[in-house]
Amino acid sequence: MAARNRAKLPYLLVLPAVALLALFVVAPGVYALVLSFQARKVTGGLLGGGSKLVFVGLDNYGLALADPELWSSIARMVLVALLFIPATVGFALLFALLLDVPRVKLARSSRLAIFLPYAVPGVIASLMWGFMYLPATSPIGGDHIDFFGASTVFFSVANVAVWGSVGFNMIVIFTALRALPSELYEAARIDGCSELRMALRIKVPLVLPAIAMCTLFTALASLQLFNEPNTLRPLSNAVSSTWVPLMKIYEDAFVNSDVNKAAATSVLFVIAALAVSFVASRTVSRVNR
Amino acid sequence: MTVPTTSGRIRLLPTAALILGAIYCIVPTLWILIASTKSKTDLFSTATYLPSFSAGIWHNIVDLSTYQNGIFWHWMLNSFGYALIGGVAASLVSAACGYAIALYEFRGRKVVFNVILACVLLPQIVLAIPQYLLLSNVGLTDSYLGVLLPQLFNPYGIYLCRIYAASSVPQSLLEAGRIDGASEWKLFHSVGLRLMGPGLITVFLLQFIAIWNNFLLPFVMVNSDDKFPLTVGLYSLLRHGAAEASLYSLVITGTLLSVLPVIALFLSLQRYWRLDLVTGALK
Amino acid sequence: MRSQWRLAGALVAGALLVTGCGGGGGSDQPAADGKVNLTFWDWDPNMDKVVAIWNQAHPDIHVTLSNPAGGDQLVSKMITAHEAGNGPDIAKVEYQSLPALVAKGVVADITQYTGDAAKDFDDTTLKATKFEGKVYGVPQDVAPLMLFYRTDIFDQNGLKVPTTWDEFKQTAADLHAKAPQVAMTNFDAADPGWITGLMQQGGADWWSASGTTWKVAINSAQSKKVADYWQGLVTAGTVAKNPSFSPQWNKQMNEGQIATWISGAWAPAQLGGIAPNTKGKWAVAPLPAWTAGDKTTGIWGGSATTVTADSKHAAQAAQFAAWLNTDDKAVTAQIQNINVYPAATSGRSLPILSQPPAFFPNQANYYDLVKQAAPSSRSFSIWGPNVTVTFSGYTDKFGAALQNNTSFSTALDDIQNATVADMKKLGFTVS
Repeated sequence: MAARNRAKLPYLLVLPAVALLALFVVAPGVYALVLSFQARKVTGGLLGGGSKLVFVGLDNYGLALADPELWSSIARMVLVALLFIPATVGFALLFALLLDVPRVKLARSSRLAIFLPYAVPGVIASLMWGFMYLPATSPIGGDHIDFFGASTVFFSVANVAVWGSVGFNMIVIFTALRALPSELYEAARIDGCSELRMALRIKVPLVLPAIAMCTLFTALASLQLFNEPNTLRPLSNAVSSTWVPLMKIYEDAFVNSDVNKAAATSVLFVIAALAVSFVASRTVSRVNR
Repeated sequence: MTVPTTSGRIRLLPTAALILGAIYCIVPTLWILIASTKSKTDLFSTATYLPSFSAGIWHNIVDLSTYQNGIFWHWMLNSFGYALIGGVAASLVSAACGYAIALYEFRGRKVVFNVILACVLLPQIVLAIPQYLLLSNVGLTDSYLGVLLPQLFNPYGIYLCRIYAASSVPQSLLEAGRIDGASEWKLFHSVGLRLMGPGLITVFLLQFIAIWNNFLLPFVMVNSDDKFPLTVGLYSLLRHGAAEASLYSLVITGTLLSVLPVIALFLSLQRYWRLDLVTGALK
Repeated sequence: MRSQWRLAGALVAGALLVTGCGGGGGSDQPAADGKVNLTFWDWDPNMDKVVAIWNQAHPDIHVTLSNPAGGDQLVSKMITAHEAGNGPDIAKVEYQSLPALVAKGVVADITQYTGDAAKDFDDTTLKATKFEGKVYGVPQDVAPLMLFYRTDIFDQNGLKVPTTWDEFKQTAADLHAKAPQVAMTNFDAADPGWITGLMQQGGADWWSASGTTWKVAINSAQSKKVADYWQGLVTAGTVAKNPSFSPQWNKQMNEGQIATWISGAWAPAQLGGIAPNTKGKWAVAPLPAWTAGDKTTGIWGGSATTVTADSKHAAQAAQFAAWLNTDDKAVTAQIQNINVYPAATSGRSLPILSQPPAFFPNQANYYDLVKQAAPSSRSFSIWGPNVTVTFSGYTDKFGAALQNNTSFSTALDDIQNATVADMKKLGFTVS
């Protein structure tokens, strides 16, 4: 009896997750793949008089790859990522190390304050920063600095993203620091080693796995950049409707109602994202070893 | 002696740096608080960093509460509903799956886990569009379920649960239970779930925040404004501001009101956070 | 063993719940008592008050108003909802988006229901909702482009209201010399409806059709004349260049940093929200002309009430659409609450139009001026079937041109190419 139960229960326990996986990841994935090989063509008449789906092979992929907007959107995403990833990981590490310095004042409140933006949705964060940037309402000098200039806009978008994610990554690194045995530092302290030297020589190398994981998290987040530029868009001319790849996919699918091309772009994007993630996670696990 | 003086100086510097960081993180919320005290006419005309004391905040809250028969509070309720129900359900699904993978040998275990692991790396967002089209075939778009169901599968949660189950539920305890004649199911819910409790709260909080913060899925999935969560609702208010100007003060007040409850929730639950789980997951 | 069955039972129940809830996904729930429920997508502020009048008078046909998005965003929502088969019954659609929705089969042919209502519109207005002999919507309002200007700023700086574009340019330069912080107007790269109005006045015809063949002329000489003119003003620094309706623009409007607004007849209702401090300081004049004495103007906005192809109660939905736009009580309520200038001929002689809009107490003849401008407004022959591509092209390309100081004329070429490529891809014949 017990043996039979043992044989069945694990399957029952994974069933909900596997069912959800099949319904909401695998099935949409397959559907997107099917859509990406089709196109909608109108059938006669001035206004089409109806339309039908036809098989077009790899046409959508060709169109997607030949679209210069896709490549510029990727370039913009990379630019933001180059600002976002090092800033987030850098500041998260800095704050985590500072929190770990003995007898720092106001550590608890600061930690909480820095962590709080994590609970603010990207859309809301972008709304708040958007009003901070606009000269009409800016308390931080928006009437002198153009936060929506051709190059400054990259910093402005990256800043919103950094603001939202430093806290979480700081906690991840801080927890890793806390897990280190304190005997490690005692000897160094007695030898007169400064906190700075200790941080750089002892702590950072030991929390490298956590840092690597934060880098992976933020790299994944930059691929998914959508909410921030999309929310800032109505406020200025600087953000176009296809500013980052996901906005491009959204625009194709929902504004220009070309679901098929959007599906092709999505498939390409997933392949690229998985490749990036794979390489990144391999690097992470190498660091961990 | 040089040691005490250097360490004395360094303690000041880190404190100052941390406070700077804290200020950076708080300033936008503070500004929203100030801006929401301003009436429609003051918003663009008074000094931006000075609050207005003409009871503007109350007017703004009243305006927001009466806008389209108080639809804002409906959004607030929806957001809590989605995040709470989705968070609890997703945590249970993750707990069951993680527990099974961690503590049982069964056929297909490796495959299931590897596929789930790959999903951690998959940007969920690109699935939103095919999910919409697929759900539309079964008539689930523009419904609460259409927003909830896709968010119940949380690969990262399963991953964390597996790690946590492996470290917090000892096999020996299960064996002892088996000898006492307890069924596997009973072992799962009275031993496994109980021991995994603290970790599950973290998984729940992570998922709660993820759903609370989600924008694209509900934005794509829902057409009726009474099913919007706060993120989509406030975004639509901003876009309405782009067709009708007087709504900006409502957007600002709504932003403030949407940030406050989560901050409160956070402050009250912060001791339950077990983020060592997130890093522990690496080892 | 039993507890396993309990778990399995819970899962099955869950699955049933899911499918059970799925059944109610459509927009029509035929009630047992024969009452018809209709959903209506519209973004007009205060439209709820007008709908309330209908619901009171028609207990059998209940209309529920929903506001899922505004303007062009609503069009995308309609298309996706149509693909999912869960669209509304009735929707507000701007004229420029109607052909695209017809081409996608989203809106229904309501010719058979609107025979009576159609008589209440002149041919120019009807042309915007009637294609290949079929009626696809009941026109709600028309919005000829006019020049709204700040009387106080003009007086203080000794300026005369310009009647031609040459004068407008000169006035802009004079204003810039006297009050450098005040822009003559705002160049708007965010709203394509605005620029197309100016293009229409300039003689451009972005789309035309003969038989089933399309002609696309977005980068024609006429368009480029208009684009070059505005590029000149932008380069001279005499006009602002923010997205209209953005907070930045709102502030400039409210604080008198913008002297004129080229806008539609609905402007007074909007100005109340945009620039509440400027009540009574605005006046309206005809749009400046390309050649002195020419009265031609363009159109910004204007919408029709449409019935969707998904509606299971097309007759009742069409009845509502006709009522909304031809019934005196409904039209009066719309003028009062939404400041529309009605499309229906009878609506244009309603008593309420003899009073100025609340925000323009100083201009008693406001609606007379609109009435004079309306007949000389020129539209394109027809709007293209993929207007969304053209319009996102406009916001992106012109936005970038403003940002990087590049050529408007090249931007027009880009939009032309993108539009033609998309039409060909869809299978339309383009000459």
